[in-house]
Amino acid sequence: MTVEPFTLPIARPGPTMFERFAPGAWRVFIGLVIVAVLMIFIAPVAILIVTSIRPASGIYYIWRGTEFTLQNYVEVLQQPQILHAMFNSFVMATLATVVSLGVTVGSGYMLSRFTGRIQKTWFATIYVFRTVPYISFVLPLYLVTTNLRIYDTYLGLLLPHIAVHVCFFSWLMKGFFDSINPSMEHAALIDGCTRWGAFRRVALPSAMPGIAALSILSWLWTWNEFLFALILTGQRTPMITSTMAQFVTETGTEWNLMSATAVLAMLPALLVTIFGQKYVIRGLRM
Amino acid sequence: MAEVILKSVGKAYGSHPVVHDVSLTIADNEFVVLVGPSGCGKSTTLRMVAGLESISSGTIQIGNKVVNDLPPKDRDIAMVFQNYALYQHMTVYDNLAFGLRNRRVDEATIKKEVEHATNILGLAPLLSRKPFQLSGGQQQRVALGRCIVRHPQVFLFDEPLSNLDAKLRAQMRIELKALRERVATTSIYVTHDQVEAMTLGDRVVVMKDGYIQQVGTPLDIYNRPKNRFVASFMGSPAMNFINVDLIEEGGRTRAVAKDLSIAVPERQVASLSGHGNRSVILGIRPEHIHLGAPAEDLGTTFRGELTVTEQLGSELVVGTKVADTLIMASRIAPETELKLHEHAPFWVDPKAIHFFDSKTEAAIR
Repeated sequence: MTVEPFTLPIARPGPTMFERFAPGAWRVFIGLVIVAVLMIFIAPVAILIVTSIRPASGIYYIWRGTEFTLQNYVEVLQQPQILHAMFNSFVMATLATVVSLGVTVGSGYMLSRFTGRIQKTWFATIYVFRTVPYISFVLPLYLVTTNLRIYDTYLGLLLPHIAVHVCFFSWLMKGFFDSINPSMEHAALIDGCTRWGAFRRVALPSAMPGIAALSILSWLWTWNEFLFALILTGQRTPMITSTMAQFVTETGTEWNLMSATAVLAMLPALLVTIFGQKYVIRGLRM
Repeated sequence: MAEVILKSVGKAYGSHPVVHDVSLTIADNEFVVLVGPSGCGKSTTLRMVAGLESISSGTIQIGNKVVNDLPPKDRDIAMVFQNYALYQHMTVYDNLAFGLRNRRVDEATIKKEVEHATNILGLAPLLSRKPFQLSGGQQQRVALGRCIVRHPQVFLFDEPLSNLDAKLRAQMRIELKALRERVATTSIYVTHDQVEAMTLGDRVVVMKDGYIQQVGTPLDIYNRPKNRFVASFMGSPAMNFINVDLIEEGGRTRAVAKDLSIAVPERQVASLSGHGNRSVILGIRPEHIHLGAPAEDLGTTFRGELTVTEQLGSELVVGTKVADTLIMASRIAPETELKLHEHAPFWVDPKAIHFFDSKTEAAIR
């Protein structure tokens, strides 16, 4: 008895209908789409940068006219309030990141490796805080900080920021630890480590790319944050984002100065992103 | 090097028991394999010995010490994991040295021990690499090396070959066997692969649903399975099972089913007649069913329609439909010309016939 051999038809990648119809046109089309999408993202930044180098008289016609000036930057950098706000934002972003990271790493590890009543309660707590829009607890926080007499201080802004970091980034951290096989820690336990030692010497170094990515994300989050800065700080501890908004005055908005400040505020964030990009990418790949 | 004694060891997650009353004594330098399907409790048992799972009831003793409440690091054991569990951020050398450094061994001794292990396992050229730069087989060798350098009292293996491809698995199995000669240590090896159990174990422990089914040497388990589960789990192709009735005919006891009547060998008649139930399960391994006619009349012949053939090159496996059951016969000469859907004569080796109770599925001996 002979049986005809059965072979599956193999799908070969061939030209699509579009490519057969108009070879080359497909590439042009894709290229145009990419340019269009890039324009959408680049336009606001480009307009911002151009505005920042125009004199006050030229800001409503930024694509016309030939007067360009760096006077806006000089003027902005001469305002002590702005330099103070930059410094404050930098300190706040760094402090919030360093302090919250300690909690986030621990809480992410706990959520990833242990199950029990405490873990479930903790998980539910941060879940609830994540689902509530954070604008809804800005006002209560104002009342709390004034009652505790920490309104318009580092501490009064730092604590809410840490709370938000912990709630938002514990999930990410849990994900990073989930991707690390726990048997590595079990091997460490057998190799002579305590539970704490297995975490510190095996789990933590393996999660470093994730932790690096997370620290960049949380740093940027606090640097860019506006709402807490607006409501919870005043003249004593201004933040760069809320200070920028002060160019909106009763007599009109000083767009040129605001743009110059915004460009200056972008620089540290840009540096952090460029410096940390490879960690962010590695973290996302984990 | 030590004896490992499990006394009525049990494990339950909440009210859900997964290991029941496991008692086992593993002699010094003995290699014991725990084998069974997934979820049979073999890995949980191993992890209890390792200290990675708490022990719900009973005691585990390593050497002269009851280790129930000792953390893993104080049990003087080493373990190989299915996914190798190498420390990804360390080089091979640091992986091997990690356990010794934790025990505050001086670096000169560590170097000596690592060299010794790398010589045994052929890892010398890989010492400065990171685990992700190694192949699966190399990673598994590093995991073995991590155990060897420590000179522990007990080696534990948790399905160490399962993540390797078939060819590499066969090769590593032979290496493991060779390693045993050079590094004699009490070992517990968990696998779901009956071939690994047969080839590696001094003794094999077959488990199912958290219970030990049978403990014995590989041959003992293969030739004298205690119940239908053990008989079906060990051996490939699996043992054939046919529901038969025992009938007295012309002074002989015969096991009868549709299209089948097999004379019960004399040595089994007594135990079968002592058995109350006349409906039993007949068990025959595929290699004990032969094609053709026997040299002398044994009363164990039957005819069946060929429904499937499997050509393996070294042997031919055929399936035939008898008593509404697909019966497999193996070790048929590969050149044999067979036509599907034809009826062919078979005979059964009377020395290798098993009977099992149809309710309890225990072997009738």
